[in-house]
Amino acid sequence: MEYKNATGRIYDIQGYAVHDGPGIRTTVFTKGCPLSCLWCHSPESQGFGFELGWLPLKCLGMDLCVEACRKACTRGAISRGEPTKRMGTEEMVEKAELDRTKCDGCLKCTEVCFTKALYSAGWDTTVDEVYDRLMKDVPFFENGGGVTVSGGEAMSQFEFTLNLLKRLKDSGIHICLDTTGFAPAEKFLEILPYVDLFLYDVKHMDSRRHKALTGVPNELILDNARLLAKNGAKIQVRYPVIPKLNDSRENMEATADFCVSLGEALTLVQLLPYHKSGRSKYDRLGRPYRLTNVEPPPESFMEKALELFTARGLPAQIH
Amino acid sequence: MENFDYPLSPRIQELKEKRKRINKDMRLDFERNRIITEYYKTHMHEYPILKRAGYLYTWLTTREINIDDDDIFLGDGGPHCRTVHFDIEQTPSAWIEGCFGDTDERFRAAWQVPGSVWVSDEDRAWILEAAEFWKDNDIAATAMGLFPEDFVAKRRTMGRGMSGTFPGHFCPGYERAVMVSFGECRKIAQEKLDAIRKNTTAENVRSELFYRAYIKVCDGMILMSKRYAEGCRKKAEETADPVRKAELLQRADSCDWIVEHPARTLWEGIQALFFYQYLLIADGVHWADSPGLIDRFLGPLAEKEIAEGTLTREQAQELFDAFVLHIGDQIIMFPKPTNDRLIEAHKNGKCFFDLQGGAQNIAAGSLITIGGQTPDGTAGTYNIATEMILLGYYRLRVAEPSLALRINQYTPDRIWAIAIACSIRSGGIPQFNNDNKIIEAMLKRGVPIEDARQYAVFGCVEPAISGKEWSMAANCGAFGAGAGPTSILQYVIHGNYDPMWKREGELPCKKLYEYESFEELKAEFERQAKHYIDTMSRMYHFAAFTFNTAWPVLSASMMTEGCLESGKDVTWGGATYNGMGSMINAVATIGDSLTVIKKLCFDDKIVSTKELYEALRDNWEGEGQELLRQRILNALPHYGNDDDYADEQVVWWTNMWVDYYNSRNGVNGGTNNCGALDLNWVGGGKFQWATPDGRKSGDPLSISSDPRQDCIKNGPLSYVKSVAKMPWTKLRCGGAINSRFDMNSVQGDDAWWKVRDLISAYFRLGGIQYHFTVADSAAMRDAQVHPEDHQDLIVRIAGYSAYFTHMSTADQNDYINRFEHQV
Repeated sequence: MEYKNATGRIYDIQGYAVHDGPGIRTTVFTKGCPLSCLWCHSPESQGFGFELGWLPLKCLGMDLCVEACRKACTRGAISRGEPTKRMGTEEMVEKAELDRTKCDGCLKCTEVCFTKALYSAGWDTTVDEVYDRLMKDVPFFENGGGVTVSGGEAMSQFEFTLNLLKRLKDSGIHICLDTTGFAPAEKFLEILPYVDLFLYDVKHMDSRRHKALTGVPNELILDNARLLAKNGAKIQVRYPVIPKLNDSRENMEATADFCVSLGEALTLVQLLPYHKSGRSKYDRLGRPYRLTNVEPPPESFMEKALELFTARGLPAQIH
Repeated sequence: MENFDYPLSPRIQELKEKRKRINKDMRLDFERNRIITEYYKTHMHEYPILKRAGYLYTWLTTREINIDDDDIFLGDGGPHCRTVHFDIEQTPSAWIEGCFGDTDERFRAAWQVPGSVWVSDEDRAWILEAAEFWKDNDIAATAMGLFPEDFVAKRRTMGRGMSGTFPGHFCPGYERAVMVSFGECRKIAQEKLDAIRKNTTAENVRSELFYRAYIKVCDGMILMSKRYAEGCRKKAEETADPVRKAELLQRADSCDWIVEHPARTLWEGIQALFFYQYLLIADGVHWADSPGLIDRFLGPLAEKEIAEGTLTREQAQELFDAFVLHIGDQIIMFPKPTNDRLIEAHKNGKCFFDLQGGAQNIAAGSLITIGGQTPDGTAGTYNIATEMILLGYYRLRVAEPSLALRINQYTPDRIWAIAIACSIRSGGIPQFNNDNKIIEAMLKRGVPIEDARQYAVFGCVEPAISGKEWSMAANCGAFGAGAGPTSILQYVIHGNYDPMWKREGELPCKKLYEYESFEELKAEFERQAKHYIDTMSRMYHFAAFTFNTAWPVLSASMMTEGCLESGKDVTWGGATYNGMGSMINAVATIGDSLTVIKKLCFDDKIVSTKELYEALRDNWEGEGQELLRQRILNALPHYGNDDDYADEQVVWWTNMWVDYYNSRNGVNGGTNNCGALDLNWVGGGKFQWATPDGRKSGDPLSISSDPRQDCIKNGPLSYVKSVAKMPWTKLRCGGAINSRFDMNSVQGDDAWWKVRDLISAYFRLGGIQYHFTVADSAAMRDAQVHPEDHQDLIVRIAGYSAYFTHMSTADQNDYINRFEHQV
């Protein structure tokens, strides 16, 4: 199959991604997303540009970044901090201190940091490079597993995603596309032949609420799902259950009804209870976490929510 | 997923509770040691195998018979169920003098405080006197009487050496003991003896002695069983409870039958198995021995009774539960602690049991193997016993003895499911074994396919042909793991000099900065390694000959196929198959060190060999050397990330070592079998100077064949792929991957099957054994503070699983840290 060795920007490749579709999967995470959901657990996935990540835990106080920062400009965003204990040892080290207000994001420090305490969230790569990396994991894909392309929003880097999928499909790899659904309809139709299963987020059935929570309205998203269903796609709906924000009975019923309307195309509904594990990633990027007032839903609530879906004859699970 | 937590019967619950209560009421076994000392003292010139038989017969017929009121199975290896077995003829007299010849005050603080293994004043006086006799008559004395002088001098560098432990590590024919019986074997031995007597030659005199010894111990075994029968009848008379009375009388009938005849019921089968185990304990070889493929004969016994209506499924499960509990009760003393360590442990509220649990599986390193396939390979051998034994471990939450499950194309989903559930709950229980690759490894040894399909795992990870092989891995294998490979690396770097021990090796060579190419350095590593292996292999022959000369292992010989047939005991080559195991270790420490030298000094020329040499010499403490060390740790390729550049060196050195070791002459005409295992990477690392992989002097070595946990950067798939590159079908003495998952990744029904897919993929890639622990760091930290709430927390260490709360604080921290690095 013809394909183009397009360039893409990704921020991670994870093996044994057990929550991203059937079987054992390796997931590619592309960078940049048109949505900005309040509960997003991967803040590094949102922006299309590179970002400076800072994980002080890993800092050994080697001072290389301080030097690199000084060489790069005069603002002095990185300096030497107070002595603190190094992870897992009694050794006192003077870790770096990052003042983001003085940082212009040149990322020079990340080039010298061995331990990746300072790191660039995201790097540029090519279809071939990613393909070669993914193919290393083929021995694990036998029992229904494969590759998941996730984001950010992979459809936002359409040329890269399409060509990567073409190459993978050519090698007989099972492909999941994890998407927000927020991309032009014709692009979904173009990529459809290369996708075995869409992992399709449905976040709120009310467009105004959807916009308030994610930054975009939901019409395009819902229309695309219907379009894909009509054209023979297999769809696994993912519904993140966020207390107070989208867990009303009314919205749940509307979501379930929507799932029913997808008919044969729908293979499974996964209810994803809100969790806080992404919180520390916000600190690393120096960004505020906006959902400070929300707790994960109790198990009993999730069980009831599940019943609401299964009562409609939908294949559903809490994930 | 189905809930496998079927309730424990009230009786099993009580037994489990009792086991907890008596954990801290342990005593050294002096009964056995008094009998053997008395016998050996008074029969100095009896021929070794007859002397062994005479002692065993005396023990079988005069030992105390204990029948506990609540127990489902009868007796123990020692006088009571928390006897700690130690074998005086194998125990270095220096240790005895050190512990019991210490001041009164220190002796009491170590052996006579609550929580200690109890030794009375009377026993103390006795053992000191007995040690005087054994000093010149124990196994070590025999060894020193025949070992070449250069070996005696090398004892320290070559490992624990012949300090005197019996071999252990074998898989005798429990099935023969239970399903054929001592009575039937005795008849064959008598026929063989009669035939020899009609035609005595210089060659068969020794066989005659073997058969005489054989018959004597058969008689002793039958008598012991009848003594238990008598004990049961006596108890029955004293019992008012009619149910218990009937039970005791039924057991009396059974004990009159078993041992002399094949077992007829499940209870008889398990009881006969225990009686044989008591014999092995008395013979001093219950050290990482394995009952082999027990479900093969226990399953049909249970199925027959259930079909006949004499046993319900619930009753069968109760018997298997009682079996799992009781078989964990046979405690062997290892290591032999100093009074210092004991006093320190008692101060911290720990007991000997804890010391033992932290260093070694306490149930004598026993390992049960279940599952597998028929000799013709056309079907699996999973039956009711396979399932009920697994369910026993799952519901009882026990860590010992270890459990190995054989996996093949016939493994039922239900067995997979219980095994994964059990592993999630109790780390490393069971260990998953890859039939296809292990059978292939056995074929490469020259074992015919039908027998290869009947391998069982003994010790920690070592496969052998169940009931047919004398696999002397333990004693001699101790030479292999440990210092070997890392010491050689030191010689290659420091010019035949070990900076930690400040001494020279045997083969003069260049220093790191004098090699002109990486190939030259590798060639030197190979030359040194081969010299080491040659010495080691030669030493194994002398070790084996020590036993052959004066310490025949009669109990194992009686039931191991080939001995009865050939008239030779196992130490004389009687078994159908013979193997000599030896383990490589520090796979990643060596591999990554070679990669670092190649990449830094030869390929990329980032630093000169001289600079790296100086950093190592200075233990990374000189100017700028920490920076270099961090670069090595964080920015260089490491084994464990599916990076061929890094994995290449691991593949090279392990293949080189394994091929050479396996090609050396095996003991008793058998094969040398290399494996990959280390139980003491922390202790071993203490005696190793800095290594090029960024390790500082005294830091732990890498564990067995595992990559360095803190250098695994690409997640579990790449990790598994790297490890699968090891030459596993040549590593026929076993070697397991130790995987850890976080709780999140094993929750949910489909996540379980993904664990199975991962194990299956590792097996397809060529791996042979897999263990995993689901490590919950929070639970572990809580267990450090509130051990009483986490008595059942079990984690996989390397070759065995241990109760987390029994581990030393240092080991606990090491375990938590390593795990957290991986996340």
